[in-house]
Amino acid sequence: MRGDLIRSILLHTLAIIACILIVFPIAWLVISSFKTMYQIFQIPPPLIFEPTLDNYRRLFFGGQLMNAFFNSLIISAITVIVSLVLAIPASYSLSRLNNAVGRNIGFWILSVRMAPSFAVIVPYFIIMYHLKLIDTIWAVAVTYLVFAIPFSTWLLKITFEELPRELEESALVDGATKAAALMRIILPNAVPMIASVSILTFVLAWNEFLMAFILTSRDARTVPVLITALSGTHKLDWPIMAAITTISMIPAFIFITFVQRYLVKGLTMGSLKS
Amino acid sequence: MREEYKLLLPAVGVLAFLVAAPTFYLFYTSLLRWFLRDPAGPIFVGVENYIRLIQSADFSTSLIVTLIFSSASVVCSLMLGLGLALLFSENVRGKRVMRTIIVLPIVLPPVVVGFTWKFLLSSEVGVIGAYFIRLIGLGNFSLLGDPQLALASVIIADIWGKTPLPFLIFLAGLAGIPPVFYESAKIDGAGGWQTFRSITLPNLKKPLVVAAILRTIDAFNSFDVIFVMTKGGPGMATHTLPMLGWKIGFYYFDVGTASAIGVILLLIVMFLSMPLIRSISR
Repeated sequence: MRGDLIRSILLHTLAIIACILIVFPIAWLVISSFKTMYQIFQIPPPLIFEPTLDNYRRLFFGGQLMNAFFNSLIISAITVIVSLVLAIPASYSLSRLNNAVGRNIGFWILSVRMAPSFAVIVPYFIIMYHLKLIDTIWAVAVTYLVFAIPFSTWLLKITFEELPRELEESALVDGATKAAALMRIILPNAVPMIASVSILTFVLAWNEFLMAFILTSRDARTVPVLITALSGTHKLDWPIMAAITTISMIPAFIFITFVQRYLVKGLTMGSLKS
Repeated sequence: MREEYKLLLPAVGVLAFLVAAPTFYLFYTSLLRWFLRDPAGPIFVGVENYIRLIQSADFSTSLIVTLIFSSASVVCSLMLGLGLALLFSENVRGKRVMRTIIVLPIVLPPVVVGFTWKFLLSSEVGVIGAYFIRLIGLGNFSLLGDPQLALASVIIADIWGKTPLPFLIFLAGLAGIPPVFYESAKIDGAGGWQTFRSITLPNLKKPLVVAAILRTIDAFNSFDVIFVMTKGGPGMATHTLPMLGWKIGFYYFDVGTASAIGVILLLIVMFLSMPLIRSISR
């Protein structure tokens, strides 16, 4: 029918416009990271130009980015590992604990997850200041656990709930402990879930800015802190900035390709389940 | 003790240690006059920090900026998210790939979202701020340098970065509406708008509430996107509450007043999120 055809064309046009609005800013930034300072300042922007790898070369041999990059990597890794070690048994327990204690603890864990970063960071700053831990990766990693533990615990809890109880029941009947059932039966079945939750937690830590910004100054600063520091300077080095921001998007790209399925759960903490 | 509790204990113990003590400490330090670098040390002053803060012009300006920023960003992102979700629940070719593209901004570091828009809108090098507005003859001005335009700019950047959240939530919500509902509406001869009002919207009530609460909390905490783009300026045009807290606490090192702002934010956010948390953890 003709009406249907027009409608379909309209829908496709709108969908394509939406995609362009999302892709253009990112693509423009990535393309600009291959430009020289002169090319970036050219108005109108040249559509065809000779790409250069100079910005990336300057980054890799400049030290600043490499330092921030390793800080981000180490802090995010510590955050993921420590929170997983604590969250796996806790979330399994919560998913099988069907009583008031379990619900209250769940309620408390979720409340912590929702707490505003600024309220968390003020006491942590004062404490780390007195412990002389300001500008160390440890201060940042410990603070990140405040959101990472509730996040991974709750997310794993709602994913473990999807695993049928029959799975571990026979082992439990045979006299295995809950811990043994978790290690031998649940974990092997939950590898993809745990991997997804780890990646989500990693991205959360990798992207975090406010806490790292307040707790670090030079040595321990993370990639977002470096980006902010450099974008605040008076004579902004746009090409280098474009290159740094392009590199800092890599975890997001990896994430979106592999574990998109868990994104809704991660963002809503499972509040859509009816 | 039941074995479940033993498995729960390490996480709960560590989290209690990491959360409970600092929270009490926050409430306590909000009652002190304390400049961290001042050798005089803390003096207990009761609620003086709160009174001085609430009476200060900076606080009311930041509160107004936060309210304008939050309501504009939340309302626009919800409407756009709903529109996109409706669009992508239709028969669109290549919709999986396009959906992935639309979702991308939500996983980018917010600092990068801010920088991307700063780069686009810059009056020096921006393809929009230096080229496009001149091309269409709007004249020569700085988008991030004018107070009202700067606020609009950070709002647009925030909408761009956060719309994927309501989009994903509504998409999941729409997928949950049984197709039978639509079929019977069709049989009853309902038009598009009528179907939307009497079937789609009522069935999206929960996703709407969830998305609205999550977005509001997020907007109230806004710091990174704005900080990269404008540092809260020009003047105080984009100065939100967390930014005021940052300036007081970590620029002037007045940690007492900063704690008071922390407490206020904590209470606002807890008030907003309580219904959601209660419904999830039930």
